[in-house]
Amino acid sequence: MLRDLAPYLGRICGAIALDAGDDALQEAMVAVTRNLTTLREPDALRGWARRIAVREAVRAAAGGRSVPVDPGRLDPAVSVPDGATAVEVRAVLDALAPEQRAVLVLRHLDGLDEAEMAEVLGVAKGTVKSRLHRARTAFRERWTA
Amino acid sequence: MSDPNGTSSVGAPTWTDLDAAAAGAAWPTATLPPGARLRALAAGLPGVVVEHRELHAPVEQVWGFIADLPTSVPTFDASVASLEVLARDGTRLRARARSGWWFVRMPLVFDVDLEPGWCWMVSRPRLYVVGMAAEAHPDDAGRTVFTHLEGVPFGGRILGPVLRATRLIQRRHVSSDLDGIARALGLGP
Repeated sequence: MLRDLAPYLGRICGAIALDAGDDALQEAMVAVTRNLTTLREPDALRGWARRIAVREAVRAAAGGRSVPVDPGRLDPAVSVPDGATAVEVRAVLDALAPEQRAVLVLRHLDGLDEAEMAEVLGVAKGTVKSRLHRARTAFRERWTA
Repeated sequence: MSDPNGTSSVGAPTWTDLDAAAAGAAWPTATLPPGARLRALAAGLPGVVVEHRELHAPVEQVWGFIADLPTSVPTFDASVASLEVLARDGTRLRARARSGWWFVRMPLVFDVDLEPGWCWMVSRPRLYVVGMAAEAHPDDAGRTVFTHLEGVPFGGRILGPVLRATRLIQRRHVSSDLDGIARALGLGP
């Protein structure tokens, strides 16, 4: 069970916490194994573990090097090359706040809608909407710079 | 703007383009080395002991010895007289261990997950777990960081005093196993 969970949580932690992703994944796995007995419904494991991983990844990223920036002031020198398959997502993710990366990850890796994302992140739907908009704007700015 | 195939053309891409790009791109992925995986598992199992040791041998040599469980386990673990592989399906094994101690007559059957650098054994019934992980030392490929876990896979407040006592015994046992592994590799006394 945990063997299957680790790669999934690794994608979440890697995309949100970037260089601190391995540490975030370790913390998330510790939190999952430590609190597993509190989980009443085994079917809810994935969603429950996802919430833990997002929380740990945002926390790890906040203590790391990543600093939120104004999407309108991105450095055009590291722009994303044109073409859908060649996009360097990492360059864009580097420029985003951890919370913005979290919405991108949940949207694009997990396919969650805004209501589901709001539940995972523990924020209002409107907050998710604005974070997603800012993240996408950053993506767009970087793309077209 | 986008063409009918959904790829971007001259000018700003649409949100659909951006979504498609983000969904198809390679996202950074975090990984958990085998030793860290064992420590994470140990965090949820209060009845186990986990210890790591640096071995002055390359990981290939260390794992070459460990992965042959019928030979390695009775060699490094003084409490095991023999270990027999009953079934094998890829990385999943079923193995039966017999104790070397006359007062523990009952053999224990384990479900084993054996991969390069990783071994996780759970007894049937689920009364005992053993974990072993090996990875190259980050600064020296000639050394191996070996992590070893053993104990009972349950906890709880009622069992607290019992677990504290068994953990003391387990700690000595895990340490003895690590000594045995080093000895078997020609690294110890």
